[in-house]
Amino acid sequence: MNVPGSSQTGASASLDDVLSQITTSSSPSSLNQYLRSFAPKESRDTILASTLSSGQDPLTVLDTRTNTLGILYILSARLHSASAPTPTLSVIEDFCSQFNPEQARLAPDRVTLLAKGIVRAAESSNNAKYALASLYSLVTRYPPDLSYLTTLHAIYLKTCVATRHFTSALPVLAVPITAVDTSLSDLHYNDNLVYHYSGGIALGALKRWREAEEFFEICVTAPAQVPAAIQLEAYKKLVLVQLIQYGEIVSPPKHTHPSLIRFLKASPYGTFVKMYPARVESLRALVAKEQDLFTQERNLGLINQAIDRAPVWLIKKLTATYLTLGLSDIGHEVGIDNVEEVRAIILDMIAQEEINATISSDNTVTFADVIPKFSKDDLDRLLVQAQEHNRVLLKVERAVNASKEYVTKALKHKDDGNWGVEEDMFPPGIGGGTPWAED
Amino acid sequence: MDVDIIEEEQQMMSQSHGSRLAGKRPLRITVDEAHPFEIETYISSYTGRTYVDRLLHIMSVCPALAPQALQLAVAEALKGRDTNLYREIFNRYERIHADAGDEIPHLSVLAEPDEHWIEETNLRNQAEKTKLEVELKTYSSNMIKESIRMAHRDLGDFYRSIGEHNSALKHYTKSREFCTTSQHVLDMCMSVIELLVEQRNYSHIATYVFKAEAALDSVTIARGQTGPEPPAGSAQANKDKRNAEREKVQTKLDVATALSHLGQNNYEKAAQSFLKVGPVKGLEDWSGKLIAPGDIAIYATLCALATFPRPSIRTQILDNDIFGMYIEQEPYVRELLESYMNNRFKNVLEILERYATRHYIDIHLYQHVHNLTNLIRSKSLVLYFQPFSSIKLERMSQAFGWSVQELEQQVVALIQAGEIKARVDRQNKILKAKEIDQRAALYAKAIKSGQDMQAANRKLLLRMRLQQADLVVKPPKGQQGYNYGTGHPTELLSGDY
Repeated sequence: MNVPGSSQTGASASLDDVLSQITTSSSPSSLNQYLRSFAPKESRDTILASTLSSGQDPLTVLDTRTNTLGILYILSARLHSASAPTPTLSVIEDFCSQFNPEQARLAPDRVTLLAKGIVRAAESSNNAKYALASLYSLVTRYPPDLSYLTTLHAIYLKTCVATRHFTSALPVLAVPITAVDTSLSDLHYNDNLVYHYSGGIALGALKRWREAEEFFEICVTAPAQVPAAIQLEAYKKLVLVQLIQYGEIVSPPKHTHPSLIRFLKASPYGTFVKMYPARVESLRALVAKEQDLFTQERNLGLINQAIDRAPVWLIKKLTATYLTLGLSDIGHEVGIDNVEEVRAIILDMIAQEEINATISSDNTVTFADVIPKFSKDDLDRLLVQAQEHNRVLLKVERAVNASKEYVTKALKHKDDGNWGVEEDMFPPGIGGGTPWAED
Repeated sequence: MDVDIIEEEQQMMSQSHGSRLAGKRPLRITVDEAHPFEIETYISSYTGRTYVDRLLHIMSVCPALAPQALQLAVAEALKGRDTNLYREIFNRYERIHADAGDEIPHLSVLAEPDEHWIEETNLRNQAEKTKLEVELKTYSSNMIKESIRMAHRDLGDFYRSIGEHNSALKHYTKSREFCTTSQHVLDMCMSVIELLVEQRNYSHIATYVFKAEAALDSVTIARGQTGPEPPAGSAQANKDKRNAEREKVQTKLDVATALSHLGQNNYEKAAQSFLKVGPVKGLEDWSGKLIAPGDIAIYATLCALATFPRPSIRTQILDNDIFGMYIEQEPYVRELLESYMNNRFKNVLEILERYATRHYIDIHLYQHVHNLTNLIRSKSLVLYFQPFSSIKLERMSQAFGWSVQELEQQVVALIQAGEIKARVDRQNKILKAKEIDQRAALYAKAIKSGQDMQAANRKLLLRMRLQQADLVVKPPKGQQGYNYGTGHPTELLSGDY
């Protein structure tokens, strides 16, 4: 574990020295230290990006699995330097699919740099989608599991959305984020926002409304002292998705930043939401007025989908008041004059089990209540889920109880007679058991 | 049924301009066999200012009665000292004549304003005013609290009688400063309340009633403490006398509270207050000067029908003896209540319609007649449908005396408002009650709650973790005191994404 180079006055280490260090070092953490300090900051990356004195590309000499850390540094430097030749796509993909995650975790900032470099390289060669494969490998292999938020999540999702490869994002989106570890990845609040916003867009494009709603909601309710513009955009899309899904908006959770709610109410979106659901002509009239705004903010697609769903919600309202209704009457209420169109919509709704109705030969529709049916398996499954959820919550609570801050705070208020709080820490039953045993 | 009124309204809307009922559509009520109304009997229960006020209102609302009203009003106004009011009678008539055209005879045919009387009264009023003001100045310079208070009070009374209500109110409030005992405060409050009721200024009544009640409490206590010790036997009698005094004032306060609630559209509270009112005797001088016992009966019944459930109506009105005395004054109210309790809703609606004229003519009630009728109608519909699981719309419409279309509209409105839990079968014209499968609904609710809770918990945990890791959206350093007030979206942070 000799540390060459830095003790020599004047001359900083050359790439050859670095290479030998990489190949001979036995402890990854000290290697990490070395790589960070072997040269003054400005020249570090240039050195890393250069070629060996023999003219060889250092990447060919190093082995991915054992020298992950070294290759990581070199690759990330190469991708960001203007002068050095960009590594080929196959090199990058190979690295990403075979690198050693534990080593890589020693230098999370370089990993982020690497990912950003990959995106840049792909964009400059006009084939942004080539970045997807490598980024996918990175994002799935780097964190211990996908539920840990990393910078890679945000970068990957952004690329997926930019290249419109929404389905490639699905495996990543399927695992909800539950853990945040800043030592794992150099996170910024924006990563959380961008990931969930892009995730929402991807899911929305795939018409998976329930999941899209959840992602947008996470972006909107992210803790904030001052709301970010992206949160307002997410809120607008959230509202539109809720209209498509439920026919009305759900009031946002209490911890949402109030200015977001205010902004939305004042904007044309607020007016649209208030009007919804209404007859199709009135909705379209409103949209035509604000068309520029909607197009500019790229929400026109969602708005149009919401308008298409409007008759469905109007008809649902009708089912609550009427038992039978003629098709023409329904058309009249909804604002669609063409009877055939109304019939098609209703048949659609029946097929998707949104309403329970029958259309008779003389064009009257008879509604009945939708009776939800549950099988024993459904219930069992739900119970298991709930139990699992409970276990997780208990675990979290135990962790908090043991945490330093909580204990200090609890001790401070000990004299306030807060014994009841500490009782909860013990599983119930212990308190009752002891006296009886003494009898 | 209300067709007469609506047609006239629409006709008059185009012609009328700015009536005294600022902002409200001017109503024109017709008087005919379907709407019997005797102006003389009605107005005979009142005296004084309210007499003239009500007649003025009648003139605006019902031009056909205007000539009669005019003459009665003139006769009464001459008894008082308010020249403005006197003039107002004539002006009002002119205006109505201009709108109504040939229906009613021209003013000159009926009466001429007595200029001579006007001048005389003005002079007299002026003299009185100067005298009182001089008195007030003298007493103020002498700094005798009691006299100042009385001078203010007299001035207040004076301004009230000549119709300058703002000055009257000013003087009454000034006299508050010089009140020494609770009795004084009480007197002052009562005068102000009377003034406010005359002015129909409902929002302020509540404050003064509150003050008056506080004063009343201290008065009754004080009365018990001061005064010579009575011999043991008459202690009870004394106490009763005290209570009787208190009750009288309390009655007036209750009436005032009730009126203020009515004026502010709190029909339920109004009904409760009206029913609390004590015996007729308690009203003493208010009866006739401000409000008639019959009025109390009508207001209370209408408000109660619109808001109380049936059992309450039975206990609080029909079994209430004290209130029974009020009902005696206006017998049709009893009929109204009986029909309602016995489900004869058609009768209820008919009676309401018949006496609509009487209601619109009342100065406190006319703004609310429409609302109250709607409320009563909705309640009747809901009550009627309650025992049925399905009923033919035709039968229901017969019970209410409407056409099937009208009924359907009403029923749909109620269903959408959630008052009736049923569905309309438009093809067969049947109203069918909704049967909810409780078991399935319970399961569905439980499952949904479970899923929602899990999702919410997950999101909250994430949020907690984000906060712990300090991944909170913060303004960049150096941004001093961001001003939220403008609320413009560009203030939001635009991250580099």
